[in-house]
Amino acid sequence: MVQDLLHSSPSLLNFGIFFAMALAFLFVILGFVTYAILAERKVLGFMQGRIGPNHLGGRWGLLQTVADVLKLLVKEDLIPKASDRPMFIIAPVIAFAPAFVVVATIPFTENLQFADLNVGLLYYIAISGITIIGTLMAAWASNNKYSLLGGMRATAQMVSYEIPLVMAGLGIVLLTGSMNLNDIVLAQQESGWFILWQPVAFVVFFIAAMAELYRVPFDLAEAENELVAGFHTEYSGFRWAMFMLAEYVYMFAMSALIIVLFFGGWLPPFEFLSFIPGAVWFGLKFAVVTYVLYWFRATFPRMRPDQLMEFAWKILLPVALANIFLTALLKELLNIF
Amino acid sequence: MTVSGEFIAFLALALVAIIGGVLLLNLKKVVHMVVALVFTFLSIAGIYVLLSAEFLAVVQILVYSGAISIIMLFGIMLTKHNDEDEGDSKGGGWRKAFLFLGVLAFGAVFYIGIYNLDFGSAPAALHENNPEQIGIELYSKYVIPFELMSVLLLVAFVGAIVLSRNDEKEEADKE
Repeated sequence: MVQDLLHSSPSLLNFGIFFAMALAFLFVILGFVTYAILAERKVLGFMQGRIGPNHLGGRWGLLQTVADVLKLLVKEDLIPKASDRPMFIIAPVIAFAPAFVVVATIPFTENLQFADLNVGLLYYIAISGITIIGTLMAAWASNNKYSLLGGMRATAQMVSYEIPLVMAGLGIVLLTGSMNLNDIVLAQQESGWFILWQPVAFVVFFIAAMAELYRVPFDLAEAENELVAGFHTEYSGFRWAMFMLAEYVYMFAMSALIIVLFFGGWLPPFEFLSFIPGAVWFGLKFAVVTYVLYWFRATFPRMRPDQLMEFAWKILLPVALANIFLTALLKELLNIF
Repeated sequence: MTVSGEFIAFLALALVAIIGGVLLLNLKKVVHMVVALVFTFLSIAGIYVLLSAEFLAVVQILVYSGAISIIMLFGIMLTKHNDEDEGDSKGGGWRKAFLFLGVLAFGAVFYIGIYNLDFGSAPAALHENNPEQIGIELYSKYVIPFELMSVLLLVAFVGAIVLSRNDEKEEADKE
């Protein structure tokens, strides 16, 4: 459907359709973020022997996040006097926009995808890199040494972990011979999920993805107790909410990407289960992957900055390179694919 | 001329690219200049997409707005970060006249050069699978330049290591 629209002549109606689709999708993602935050708090509570939010919106606290967001939106808009005003205002926008742009290329089911790019995987990596500039701008514009330190840490971490992330993804690109995410899913229909063929790449990719998302073992860019929340110390209200939103939208996108690359996207695990629609399978896998992310948050301690950098460059990168080499050998010698 | 979606997109992107460039020259703070430059890079990537060179566009974003501008921002933030431009140098009337002439000549040369330029008809299948096409070209026709580039990169790596090593030794000597 999107393809037809893209080739039709431009008109206000056309623009309106695209606008409405993007808006609808934005609200779907906002809905996801709302309940992802609630789920995170619930899972953390469960793991720590607490109850978690349980007052607003029935027994499960279903309206807790909605109330939190409302509170953030009506808060006074504070811009510190000594900050770099234009950059302070534009930084959250630059940090959030790529997070939403990235989701366009992810195939949720056979038909539900906004842009079928033949460089899909690379597109994801490239666009998500723009967020780093937003982070760095926020850190800089705040004119606060904790913010600047946090921003520098975040940037160094993002840049370093992007490399093992790409290298781990390369193993899969080698096997499928395509960077198109649709082709990658379809290749798994015949050969089985790529987590079976690329277990090493999966481990490297997952760790690097956690680092890209600033999830817990790697959240030292915004470590509350050493850096007073890092690059968004000076932010409050809806500007701060935009940073949080960007983070959770990336979590959405990254979980979806992991499913597409390693868990066969919308495909059922066995052939005889294929009467259940793809969207359901995607949702189930998605729930499992995000649950694992929460689980890690509850159980891992934070790393030290020097360990973090060494881990990326001295362990993950060589392992990923060895994996590429091995994959190429397997592909050439055994001719499986 | 009919107004197609491509035309509107091109106008928007070109406008952003030019505004980014002008801001880069006119803004006072160095960090702001780099941010303006990022917008130029991004809109140029957008223009590549319009030319159905998706791979090039993605690489442009990855390398220019991802890597190079971040290195520049880091460099500025860690060094002379409060540097501001001291405004325009005065220059006499002659200088301005020559500048204007130069701009006119540049415009004229490009107008003449581009207006009747004909690349021949472009192959129709360029947009299909262009990473694969680029890979095949690179490893069949242009193997030697490609390998030479990797040697150049290696030299740059070694040079960077040598430079940073020297600094360390000097600092140790000072102490």
